[in-house]
Amino acid sequence: MVINCQSLIQNLKINNRIFPKQKQMSTENSGYLSITDILVTTEKVPCKFLHDLPKMGFLDPSAADVDLKAGCSVEIPLWLAESLYSRRPPLVSVELPKIYKESYREILNADACAVDLHKLGQHFYELGCYVAKHDIKSEVAATLNNTYRQRFRMLLAASMSSDSINTMQPLSASERIQAADASNTERSFLTWLQRGDTPLTTANMVANHRKRKRAEMEML
Amino acid sequence: MEPYEIEFIGENRIISITPNFTHDKIYLICGEFGPFRAGLPVNVPLWLAIMLKQKQKCHVIPPDWMDVEVLENIKEEEKRSRFFTKMPNEHYMVEAKLILGSAAEDVPNAPEIKTIIKDIWDIRMSKLRTSMDALMKTGGGYGRLDHLTMMEINSVKPLLPAAMDNLLRMQMKTKKTAPSLNLNSSTFSQSGSSQNT
Repeated sequence: MVINCQSLIQNLKINNRIFPKQKQMSTENSGYLSITDILVTTEKVPCKFLHDLPKMGFLDPSAADVDLKAGCSVEIPLWLAESLYSRRPPLVSVELPKIYKESYREILNADACAVDLHKLGQHFYELGCYVAKHDIKSEVAATLNNTYRQRFRMLLAASMSSDSINTMQPLSASERIQAADASNTERSFLTWLQRGDTPLTTANMVANHRKRKRAEMEML
Repeated sequence: MEPYEIEFIGENRIISITPNFTHDKIYLICGEFGPFRAGLPVNVPLWLAIMLKQKQKCHVIPPDWMDVEVLENIKEEEKRSRFFTKMPNEHYMVEAKLILGSAAEDVPNAPEIKTIIKDIWDIRMSKLRTSMDALMKTGGGYGRLDHLTMMEINSVKPLLPAAMDNLLRMQMKTKKTAPSLNLNSSTFSQSGSSQNT
């Protein structure tokens, strides 16, 4: 099958952003202009090419050939993978990135709190939602759900703790946002409690200083 | 919501004061209050009481529940019970903070009361956190929390509802691949699977 792939890919690149219709990915935080969503769709996923693609060798950095052979595995960005996959017949088959594979799923199911999602996958949940449909056994969805539920404890801890650097470290990007929201509420409650008749509050820098913490907790 | 907004809502609670001045009825948006007779107790909204107190024009009569013994009982019960007990007042934190903040000399044992109320708050908050964690762990889809006050609900608002939202969103997104999908992509996935086999 001969397809003019170079122009196809260029078209896809443009179409993907101009015609939202093409993006079959929906609901709230994957808004069309959402930066997070754009970042998530540029994450690379391993794909296996199902056809010979002439002149597309540049997609595979290790290939010496000008043409891309069928059956070779290349990591390509998610937006490209989705588009190539949704053609009829599909040009690629999308494989799961390694954190969604069986071995990592076992770790996550055993104890999700022990995993540093910030290192393994900044956008673990968002990317997971996209690749879940390429999982034949469809266990990824359950893992995502389970992981989120287990890691909720870490959110609680991060929102309460004043040692924000250490508790925030292993959280994924979206978890960090939530934890920051929660600790903001906590902090505004504390300032409300502290405000007496004189609305003077300690500077943020001073409040975060270790020695002051005890005093802060003891105020009603 | 900011704690200040809840404070604003809570300030509409009626409490008793003994004014030390005489004045006719006053007409406010929230109702008419008075007439004020020096030495005779009268009911006014909390914000008015605090304002008069700051001008040294009245004594605040602490609410019935603001008493060491009553609060100790509440605290004990709160410790004993697995569930949340009913608080004497929907805005107990706001009321305690305002009255103890500006009219502490009118309340007997103000420092003790302060400590006990903060204890009760801490017990309730830790209870709330453990039950939220339990709810998420067991995979429950809903929880029932009776007798929570507005301030307490507010303090967990960015956590629990947001977490539930996220879970739902992930379920919706991942479920989409199932047959309920719109026409286009279901044919995609069919052709995809036929390719694989």
